[in-house]
Amino acid sequence: MRGATAPDAAQASIRATIDQALTSTDSAEQTKLIRSLSVTGGPYAAQILALWREGNIFLYKAPDGKKIPVTLVETKDAQGLQAAIKVIDGTPLTGPDGKPISLKFSLLESAETDASLRKAIKDVNDMAALADPDVKLRIRAVQSVANEQNPAKLPALEARLTLEQDPLVKRTIHESIALITLKTGEMKQRIAACVELGNLGSIPSQDALKATVTSATKEGQADLAKAADTALSQIASHVTFVNTIGTMFRGLSLGSILLVVAIGLAITFGLMGVINMAHGELLVVGAYTTYVVQCIFGPGLAISPFGFSFSIPGFHATGAAYDAYFILALPFSFIMAALVGVALERCVIRFLYSRPLESLLATWGVSLLLQQLFRLTFGSNNVQVDSPSWLSGNWTVNDILFGWNRVFVIVFAVLIIVLTWLVLNKTPLGLLIRAVMQKRDMAACMGVRTERVNMLTFGFGSGLAGLAGAFLSQVGNVGPSLGQSYIVDSFMTVVVGGVGNIIGTVISALGIGIVDQSLQQILGNPVLGKILVLGAIILFLQWKPQGLFVTKSRSLES
Amino acid sequence: MTQPLHKRESLWFAAVAFLLVILLPLADAFGIIDHFTLNTWGKYLCYAILAISVDLLWGYTGLLSLGQALFFSLGGYMFGMYLLLMIGKMGQYKSDLPDFMVFLGHTQLPSFWKPFYYFPFAALMVVLLPGLLSSVFGYLAFRSRIKGVYFSILTQALTYGAALMFFRNDMTMGGNNGFTDFRFVLGYDVRSPGTKRGLFIATAVLLLGVYALCRWLTKTKFGLIQRAVRDSENRVLFSGYAAANYKLFVFVLSGVIAALGGALYVPQVGIINPSEMTTEKSLEAVVWVAVGGRGTLVGPVIGAISVNALKSYATRAFPDLWPLLMGTMFILIVLFMPKGIVGLPTQLHHYWNHWRHHRKPSPEEEEATAELTTKPTSAE
Repeated sequence: MRGATAPDAAQASIRATIDQALTSTDSAEQTKLIRSLSVTGGPYAAQILALWREGNIFLYKAPDGKKIPVTLVETKDAQGLQAAIKVIDGTPLTGPDGKPISLKFSLLESAETDASLRKAIKDVNDMAALADPDVKLRIRAVQSVANEQNPAKLPALEARLTLEQDPLVKRTIHESIALITLKTGEMKQRIAACVELGNLGSIPSQDALKATVTSATKEGQADLAKAADTALSQIASHVTFVNTIGTMFRGLSLGSILLVVAIGLAITFGLMGVINMAHGELLVVGAYTTYVVQCIFGPGLAISPFGFSFSIPGFHATGAAYDAYFILALPFSFIMAALVGVALERCVIRFLYSRPLESLLATWGVSLLLQQLFRLTFGSNNVQVDSPSWLSGNWTVNDILFGWNRVFVIVFAVLIIVLTWLVLNKTPLGLLIRAVMQKRDMAACMGVRTERVNMLTFGFGSGLAGLAGAFLSQVGNVGPSLGQSYIVDSFMTVVVGGVGNIIGTVISALGIGIVDQSLQQILGNPVLGKILVLGAIILFLQWKPQGLFVTKSRSLES
Repeated sequence: MTQPLHKRESLWFAAVAFLLVILLPLADAFGIIDHFTLNTWGKYLCYAILAISVDLLWGYTGLLSLGQALFFSLGGYMFGMYLLLMIGKMGQYKSDLPDFMVFLGHTQLPSFWKPFYYFPFAALMVVLLPGLLSSVFGYLAFRSRIKGVYFSILTQALTYGAALMFFRNDMTMGGNNGFTDFRFVLGYDVRSPGTKRGLFIATAVLLLGVYALCRWLTKTKFGLIQRAVRDSENRVLFSGYAAANYKLFVFVLSGVIAALGGALYVPQVGIINPSEMTTEKSLEAVVWVAVGGRGTLVGPVIGAISVNALKSYATRAFPDLWPLLMGTMFILIVLFMPKGIVGLPTQLHHYWNHWRHHRKPSPEEEEATAELTTKPTSAE
């Protein structure tokens, strides 16, 4: 059974103690022995004691009259006998001849427990949970001890504190100890506990502190009430700090979303001057590409556009292999959206370069067309795109929650900006793009094929939109009208940043994100915040009609 | 625009006026056309008013506003508030309050609702609120010389913000569902054929009035400057005209026109909600103008009626394909029919001449081809 693994010295001594307790006939001594394990025992002792409490440890009467505590293996042989294992060292029970002895379950006497013993065992178990190797479970155990408000458990917590390495668990233990003493300690200790909780900025202890203030005021314990009050205000300022940082972080991640969505537009609209109302649909192309790649990794995909139904078989991958779909989906999203973008440029936009208002209208037609195509192909409901497991979960520092997907958003935005910067500044294509956008005629005179550069630039911008779509599939729903919800925001971002300027777009996206989240925090209402942001943008453009960064020019019409 | 045409145009105008104001309502009264058709046409005429307002901005002044649907539905909302209060105790909850307020747990009419019991006040607000909003927004936008696509994007943002606001329940403007279940207008039952006929006639009169007003305005010196702003704003500025003031006036005027159209639209359709004030609705109105032919006043009317007639047919006959059709139609019209239906005869005539004489393309055509292949203006 469980004892079959080679026990090291600590485990051997635990087994010896338990064995001693099992064979003892004095209940008080038994309890004392068990309690001695509460600090040192840990999960190992808890396992064995659990068997005892459940009546699964038996006392085998040896031929010499000694009682040997044993456990039984689970498998029964033909006669219904089970092999026995000694508790003391985990070796099989052997007879005088050295052969293993099998016993009949029904004929055995199980080791008994009384109330005080059971309580001792439970305490050992509770304390064992404090030593659980999983940090999260350890924290939960500490918190449950704090909830019990039992001063008898303080020594165990203190003992654990000396052993504990993890700073988060240490903090929780400090918090729990203070909470328990706050309730049960003497006046001096209680005041000290208040100070401790205040210094820790312990958010969960606010209720307990408030209760302390009320009761202390009622009983005229001015010092205690004052200490608790100070602690509460300390905690309140900690909460403000946490909220501020949290808001900044959420603002940063919202800004990153805006940035990722708008960066493609900063190229097609900002550099090329094309108003592409179908930009949102290019996002959706990227998002659906991610969906298709996911389906190919998973169960496959059956779609029926225009009544033709066909299905793509899937690889039925699971676990890490399935999670890897997202890595592959990124380049595919880029390529698909870039292809759609190039087709759009060749078929529609290239005729309308000199008529920007009309390119707005024509691309709106394209957007209607694409939306309906999505609807007919994938249905009008949202499709399910799973996040890879490494994007879920979060990271808590000093009570501030950093969700992995939000962190990912920021990292992804940084990557995209770096990619864009590299392409524009370090590749031959980037050189051509910049040349053509700065002085088209001169570039053409130098032999640059400007038509081709237009096409590639538009394709690149569209591809970035596709990447953004792949990314949006991880933070929200994917449906045919996904793009519509981002189109106003992304145009705003580019206009505020200053058309023709990537850095401007970066700053305006982050600025809008942070302002939006702060307003939400202050007003407590997302929609109102959004409306105020729109109003603020309109007023901002009064002050700087060309956006944050103005591209200097002597041209009259630009 | 030349004088000799003027007489012919007046005749046409009189004929259409006779048809809309007298003939169609009579036909309806005597059962020659059914009430549903007349009602549908009343709706189309409201759309035509909206289209004229878009064209006055876009076709004549070169300002593509994506906020016309906002003014249209603001007018509708203002009138809708009056209509909603006229329901009285006949609502679902048998309360003096409009149904949605009872549903949201209000016990009292918000104070800004109270004056809407009076028709003249509501009618005044139909003009005043959109007028005020468009003056403030227009003043801000034109003062800082926001033009071209930036103007479009800003009006889009304005519309989006307003729609978000109206979607909220605590605006006490009906939230998501808006206003519906109207009963009475000026004491007449909104649902009776007679009232509907009256509304149709009112819409027709309004349309004709708006048409006449715009016709007159675009013929005056004001109209000339308007078109000059469209074609080259800088030259207008250098000639000493305050282009911003002209633009502001046109923007406010077209906002008010759209609002009036919206006010008559609501009692005929029987519902107004925030989905009417989205950018897509504005863009749809732009489509009507583009299809009909911008820069003319007949164009928007023809466009609004024909596209909507096609839409109501197509959404019933093949609902799935209608958006595809509309998208494609729109792309093709923008690319190949810049002058819309109204300009089609001239366009065809050109092609016909070209084909028959096998001669060199006319200078106009050359210009058109040049326009098609022009490269983007430099990013400077």
